[in-house]
Amino acid sequence: MQADIAATPVKAVKVTFTAGFSRRYTDSIREFEVQAKNIRGVIRAMNELFPGLGETLEEETSIAIDGVIHEVDYTQPVKPGSEVFFIPRIEGG
Amino acid sequence: MSKHHVTTVINGDPVEFLCQPNVSLLDVLRDELNMTGTKEGCGTGDCGACSVTLDGRLVCSCLVLGVEAQGKSIQTIEGMANGETLHVLQRKFLEHAALQCGICTPGFLIAARSLLERNNNPTEEEVRFWLAGNLCRCTGYNNIITAVLEAAREMRGA
Amino acid sequence: MLTNTKDIEQVMKVVGTSPLRPDGVPKVTGQAQYGADYSLPGMLWAKVLRSPHAHARILSVDTSKAAALPGVKGIILGSDFPDHPFDYVGPERVAQNYWHMTRNIMAREKALFEGHAIAAVAATTSAIAAEAVSLIEVKYEVLQHCIDVEDAMKPDAPLLFEDMITRGVEPAPSKPSNISKRLEFSVGDIAAGFASADEVVEMSFKTAAVHQGYIEPHSCLARYGADGQCELWSASQGHFVVRAYTAKLVGMEIGNLLVHPAEIGGGFGGKTVVYVEPMAVLLSRKTGHPVKIMMSREDVFKSTGPTSGSSMTVKIGVKKDGTIVAAEGLFKFQAGAFPGSPVMNATMCAFAPYIIPNVKSVGFDVVSNRPKSAAYRAPGSPISAFAVESVLDILAKKIGMDPLKLRLKNAVKAGSPTAWGPKHSHDGYAETIQALLDHPQYNKPLGKNQGRGVASGFWFNGGGESTASVHINEDGTVVIATGSMDVGGSRASMALMAAETLGVPYESVRSTVADTASIGYNHVTGGSRVTYATGIAVVEACNKVIEDLRLRASLMWDTDIKNVVWSDGYAKPVDKSVGNFEPLSLKAIAGKRAVTGGPIGYEASTNAGGQAPGFSTQFVDVEVDPETGAVKILQFVAAQDVGRAIHRDYCAGQIVGGVVQGIGWALNEEYIYDSKGRLSNAGFLDYRIPVASDLPMIEAVLVEVPNPSHPFGVKGVGEANIVPPMAAIANAIENAIGRRMTELPMSPPRVLAAIDAG
Repeated sequence: MQADIAATPVKAVKVTFTAGFSRRYTDSIREFEVQAKNIRGVIRAMNELFPGLGETLEEETSIAIDGVIHEVDYTQPVKPGSEVFFIPRIEGG
Repeated sequence: MSKHHVTTVINGDPVEFLCQPNVSLLDVLRDELNMTGTKEGCGTGDCGACSVTLDGRLVCSCLVLGVEAQGKSIQTIEGMANGETLHVLQRKFLEHAALQCGICTPGFLIAARSLLERNNNPTEEEVRFWLAGNLCRCTGYNNIITAVLEAAREMRGA
Repeated sequence: MLTNTKDIEQVMKVVGTSPLRPDGVPKVTGQAQYGADYSLPGMLWAKVLRSPHAHARILSVDTSKAAALPGVKGIILGSDFPDHPFDYVGPERVAQNYWHMTRNIMAREKALFEGHAIAAVAATTSAIAAEAVSLIEVKYEVLQHCIDVEDAMKPDAPLLFEDMITRGVEPAPSKPSNISKRLEFSVGDIAAGFASADEVVEMSFKTAAVHQGYIEPHSCLARYGADGQCELWSASQGHFVVRAYTAKLVGMEIGNLLVHPAEIGGGFGGKTVVYVEPMAVLLSRKTGHPVKIMMSREDVFKSTGPTSGSSMTVKIGVKKDGTIVAAEGLFKFQAGAFPGSPVMNATMCAFAPYIIPNVKSVGFDVVSNRPKSAAYRAPGSPISAFAVESVLDILAKKIGMDPLKLRLKNAVKAGSPTAWGPKHSHDGYAETIQALLDHPQYNKPLGKNQGRGVASGFWFNGGGESTASVHINEDGTVVIATGSMDVGGSRASMALMAAETLGVPYESVRSTVADTASIGYNHVTGGSRVTYATGIAVVEACNKVIEDLRLRASLMWDTDIKNVVWSDGYAKPVDKSVGNFEPLSLKAIAGKRAVTGGPIGYEASTNAGGQAPGFSTQFVDVEVDPETGAVKILQFVAAQDVGRAIHRDYCAGQIVGGVVQGIGWALNEEYIYDSKGRLSNAGFLDYRIPVASDLPMIEAVLVEVPNPSHPFGVKGVGEANIVPPMAAIANAIENAIGRRMTELPMSPPRVLAAIDAG
């Protein structure tokens, strides 16, 4: 029987919201830690905590992954220990 | 109001049209004659986008009545190039990036040509003041002024 | 990417040059067709009846006399548009509420601003349409109005919406007001921060509403067929967005509406929304004829969104050595008749260039009886920057520090925090400051009544959805198409990027803008996003084509694809061992396309992220005439980090253009209302934008700190340049005559009053 490989704990992904957004949607809690490999996973995890939040995140936010701004894209990978910040979506003129 | 019959010359060609006495030359050019190169930016003579020359005089066609064209000679942007050969001003505007959206460009070209017909060696200040009646919102005027000065230089053969 | 962005050493063949643009000849010969230049047989002309009152209940509208006029084919009112539930949808910063939007197109219960559309008439000639409009009888109950943001916020202000309860306030207020929303971004502890400061300056500012001032009025032509299919020719900054808004506002499926991108005569944000399109489509549906609408210049000023006027207070504290320790901002913005000012952008951008541990930035979105605000080049940021950059100047003087060096000391770079959340991900700001410190004219001595001022600015820049297609013609020339409207030469930039990627001459690439049925979705041409996001789509499509070209070559050479490389516009064997093959050009491969798989072409779409923000630092020398208060611009130098300039001249053109709009905003432009809430200066004579004789040559300095997320290092360039000029000029005036101007515009009467006040 192959010995179990001791699972090294995978570092969580840190998820942060702005104060205004957290007041409206996450009971004023601004920071969370979730396990996820990509943005789909992050959204799924947040939706489990706050049902319906997933759709809001998709429709209303852009994200900054370790500071780099992206549109919300399921396939966007996130590394363990990454910081994912949901920010208000940008529009210009 | 019944329409008047007007006989005129536009870009060297004989043209006849009918228009009511209260219609502007700009509207006649664009809506009667389908010459949409001359643009309406304001309709009140403040922006120069509708610039044409009337018997060699630079005017805002929105301030000229269609009936005033009777017996006169009009030059519009459509007549500036010579077949496939662009006027030197048109070439310089392209080379010096003197347009961004391009809506003011026909008016500027007509106005600039009018200047160079009178003064083939204008200073930068003279160019700026002559073109003060043409508004541009995109370029900040830098490249327009450069293009006109460069065109003048080439036309002088300098 | 929290490391300094690295210099990308790429040897470019065509990127960075300045070739002629493909749409250039049509534009210098008058052949290019803008929104008002289209006609169709049987076309009707439409004119719009607009409210003469700033605020009024609409009691009745009688169109019978108008309808009876011979030549009138159709009349529409607000009630002819489907209504929408009251609901804010979409991103908070730019939330749409279709209940508001449909009423902005055409009024229903109330006229909320002078110029608010009440009805529209389509007739066989424009003269008959205009006469018909004058025959429509409307009974109004005129109400009290408010325009200035402070007036609109007063407890006894006349309410635009009886049920508007301020969002973003806990607990929600019990009484309605004109305050649509409150928002706040804070970090750290500002009380402690200010307590630790050596110098603190607090000052209040006011700015007036200014219009984008595009020379082309809004225009469109609609043809609605009996089969429910509609074609629309419209000048806009985004024909896909026009399609979406128009379809929803008239109640039709997006797929039944085809929007053709007319050339656009300027937008600057003001043409990212619709005004005339829904009216034209509805009238065309009603009458069964094509319908053309062109706004008059007066209508453009009275009825389309200028940006917000504002009332602001900014307080900043610094240490003696120039370290900024705390910053607080209160930004009250005029949204116009419906909510949606750019106050959120303003609160976020205000302090964004600086590393500040303690920040509190509060914004109010306030409705008032003037047209609904629309985006204007870096919306919101220029306004808050006027306040912040002015206060920084005062502080620099107090501690005896050069204002550029004060900014440099606190400049953000990759990894620096923001007040609103994520860390900055890119360098570039400090480089723009250094570019001016190194500029030979920065320390040039000045004369009497002359002064120098500096300011910086920040704008997010956009990414988002774009699609591009690339096809190889039978003769080896290339056609690329995108759905991004060309406001300033982007066709050329796309062609440059395609040519560079494929390795072919720029002249062999045709670059077009396709309609909504011929290319996939493209978001607006705005937000400084096109060279970035649509550029990415173009490069991706080209890379797909290159893969296919390698495959075709491998088939032609009867070898494995891994033996073929694409280099400098040719398929080449990876080395001699593959065989003695001559390089194959696009033309050669295209000639064999039929036997190797058929036509060669690909489409690529992206929802681009990874964009870098725009930073601009500028200095201006002015001379103030103490007799008239007139301010003359002697010299203006604007440095901006553009990442990499794809087309150098068009890049510089954006900077110069934005600076000149800023100069107009600083010195002359404002909406002037009379006591009845009517616009006194609804034309270019009295709404005075800069003309050629006002200005010297403006100098643009292109700083290039490439963005590694873009194949060529591009950073958006269109907007950041309009953020600093107003503060730079205010700082220069202070330097010249010792007077601090806190109200925009700094027009001659105001400057004179400041001089006389002593």
